[in-house]
Amino acid sequence: MQNYLATIFLLLGLTGVSHSAAAQPWSSLTPTQREALTPLVQQWDTLPEPQQQRLLETAKRYPHLTPEQKERYHGRLETWSQLTPEQRKAAREKYRAFKKVPKKQREQVKEMVKEEQARKAQQSASGVPAAK
Amino acid sequence: MTNKFDPGKLDPKKVAQLLTQSTRQLDDATLSALGNARQNAMKKQLVRAPFFAPTPASLHTSAGWTARLLPHSAQPWIAAGLLAVLLGIGAGYWQHLEEQQIDELDVAILTDELPIEVFVD
Repeated sequence: MQNYLATIFLLLGLTGVSHSAAAQPWSSLTPTQREALTPLVQQWDTLPEPQQQRLLETAKRYPHLTPEQKERYHGRLETWSQLTPEQRKAAREKYRAFKKVPKKQREQVKEMVKEEQARKAQQSASGVPAAK
Repeated sequence: MTNKFDPGKLDPKKVAQLLTQSTRQLDDATLSALGNARQNAMKKQLVRAPFFAPTPASLHTSAGWTARLLPHSAQPWIAAGLLAVLLGIGAGYWQHLEEQQIDELDVAILTDELPIEVFVD
């Protein structure tokens, strides 16, 4: 029985449950991928391979985004790529939890954030340091 | 009399000899009747074939050929291999779904109305 279990685990390893791929240099990316990942042109080749793969997966959806979403995507890519894997994982968990909040409360949070952003923008425009 | 019948001391060989001698003393009609009774009993007995044993008909099918070509000792290994492949496919599919979910979340965070700072510590 132990022999069979050992064989099963060995074959599981051979069937490639966990896949790995080599890092992709910027020069090997397609024009669409380059367009999506433009903000990362400087640091792309230094990014770890799993992170590159993850970003390439998000880049697949880039052509289907609205212009406004594309702008946000580009604006956040650099910050996102500088996070540690743990920080990204925590952010995903937070986002997932936020999506479970009732829509009405979600809208309230969005309103609060917008107001906060507007206040900060106003303060920075008038030269007053933003209160934390 | 101390010559009591003791079944524990019976010698099977002697019993067989006695039965053979007794049978020789039987007349033909009795032997024929016993033979017929035996045949009838044999017909009523169910024949139970082993579950995985190839039947003559199955030898012409692919399963039959497999049974003939593969040594009996290899069959459990093949079953284990098939199970491993199925488990691998299941695990791969599960991993694929999980990765797809992560990609969707990443895109959602990168494009949501709410700024990224809301979700990042």
